[in-house]
Amino acid sequence: MTPGIDLQGTFVRALTDLGLPAGAAKTVWIPLPMVLMLIVATVSIFICVWLERKISAAAQQRIGPEYVGPLGALQAVADGVKLIFKADITPAKADPWLFIIGPAIVVIPVFLSFLIVPFGQNLVITDLGIGIFLWIALSSITPIGLLMAGYSSNNKYSLLGGLRAAAQSISYEIPLALAVLAVVMMSNGLSTIDIVNQQSQYGILGWNIWRQPVGFVIFWISALAECERLPFDLPEAEEELVAGYQTEYTGMKFGLFYVGSYVNLMLSALIVSVLYLGGWSFPVPVESITALLGISETAPVVQIVAASLGIVMTMLKAYLLVFLTILLRWTVPRVRIDQLLDLGWKFLLPIALVNLLVTAGLKLTLPGFFGG
Amino acid sequence: MLNFLKQVGDYAKETAQAAKFIGQGLSVTFDHMKRRPVTVQYPYEKVIPSERYRGRIHFEFDKCIACEVCVRVCPINLPVVDWEFNRETKKKTLNHYSIDFGVCIFCGNCVEYCPTNCLSMTEEYELASYDRHNLNYDNVALGRLPYKVTEDPMVAPMREFAYLPKGAMDPHDLPKGTQRAGRLPKDILAEIEAEEAKKTPANAAAEEKSSS
Ligand code: SF4
Ligand code: SF4
Repeated sequence: MTPGIDLQGTFVRALTDLGLPAGAAKTVWIPLPMVLMLIVATVSIFICVWLERKISAAAQQRIGPEYVGPLGALQAVADGVKLIFKADITPAKADPWLFIIGPAIVVIPVFLSFLIVPFGQNLVITDLGIGIFLWIALSSITPIGLLMAGYSSNNKYSLLGGLRAAAQSISYEIPLALAVLAVVMMSNGLSTIDIVNQQSQYGILGWNIWRQPVGFVIFWISALAECERLPFDLPEAEEELVAGYQTEYTGMKFGLFYVGSYVNLMLSALIVSVLYLGGWSFPVPVESITALLGISETAPVVQIVAASLGIVMTMLKAYLLVFLTILLRWTVPRVRIDQLLDLGWKFLLPIALVNLLVTAGLKLTLPGFFGG
Repeated sequence: MLNFLKQVGDYAKETAQAAKFIGQGLSVTFDHMKRRPVTVQYPYEKVIPSERYRGRIHFEFDKCIACEVCVRVCPINLPVVDWEFNRETKKKTLNHYSIDFGVCIFCGNCVEYCPTNCLSMTEEYELASYDRHNLNYDNVALGRLPYKVTEDPMVAPMREFAYLPKGAMDPHDLPKGTQRAGRLPKDILAEIEAEEAKKTPANAAAEEKSSS
């Protein structure tokens, strides 16, 4: 594997050449990728909302937002501005502290999880050794926020919504973690970079989805449940619970829940593309293309093209999955709470365990294919 | 053991079936995405109401004989007919007439039964107001004619689905002069009249012959 472009190295070297001490140069670098990631995550909300509206509209033979910005692309911005200017009401008998902290606890871990999402060999904020584990850990903080929001609103619908959210998140965390574990076992590492590298040798044929089809389905279903997307949107089921834990929220606090859910959706799609669809790798390995064209793999032009291709590929795969979720939203009806728990505990959990066991067995018997 | 295996097999079969059905559902949703939107962008474009549209009721004050038939046939006795008996002419004089469109169900019974045809249903459906009492129309308001969609310069009139030419699904950008499928009532009427006109002289001649 080539190291890819090392933005940090180049940046630090450029600053030290300008006469800055190495430590200071590194300090200047640190916030840059974080801010960039924050921007990427925020922009992805707008794209997701836009896609959601347009695809929903298309599926229902409507037009969707049209007048705000080109093709209605700025509708989400308009909605955000509206939410900011709305009155921010805290119900009189609510617990003010929990009420305020709730949405923040929902949103912050989701944004934090972007730390480990790689867009290229070196295009990641931190290549943590525990990578994917951090994501699982962070994603289980979210239900605490939801429970806080539901409890503190002092409203029966909110409480029910919060409880449902907690129950759902906890039950689906387990199959999710087991599906991830099978992938981790194959790539001998928790780091997202390692996971992608392990899949990217043979182009599209090497992607984990071929070796882990069951794991992919389990992961995707669990991720949808974690995001509270439509077949599993019980915590905010409008017809039963008004809006679940969001019932008493107004203004930007309400908006934060929306931001959280859309960023979470985007994040899950990104993680699926990293774990199962080869992350940033092109369907044909870049090395073979360069070999075919007879260019050196380490030439700067190739590096830049490969890096941008990687970002585009990651995004493309993620948005394809987002598209699938939106399509699924208009296809599958909402499950009942008992069906939801049935599906999680009685179906996904045993299958995830069997999948893990089979993967372990195959890893021992066919170490070449399943990562020895 | 065999029983258990059978259970597992059945379970797997059910799962495969469920997956198949979800796949079918997805393909239906996906297929719908290819279809053109049928949206009529309301305040800028409006559908032309059909001839039989049952909109706000129009009332002609001078035709009304205050017989109160409309009140009797109304499912909720809604029209308010305020009349006085005029002893000199021995007739009722109508003072006021009103219908509250916040209560009316637009069933059209009053229109159907009015002996003097002074009630009719218009194509007006934009009755939104800030106060429900504004919907209580008196005889002046009831006498107003609605603005025709086709004459409104601010609005692009759109034909309803049944009035589109054969095969067309979208009312936008229709070529000029296209007609709806089937024959228009006015053509049929003209044809009938022409036939009758042809028949009448012959009939007259026949009658003359028989009488003579
Ligand atoms: S039925 Fe017709 S004529 Fe009689 S009172 Fe009603 S509107 Fe007047
Ligand atoms: S349309 Fe029906 S409900 Fe309305 S006033 Fe006439 S009879 Fe009554």
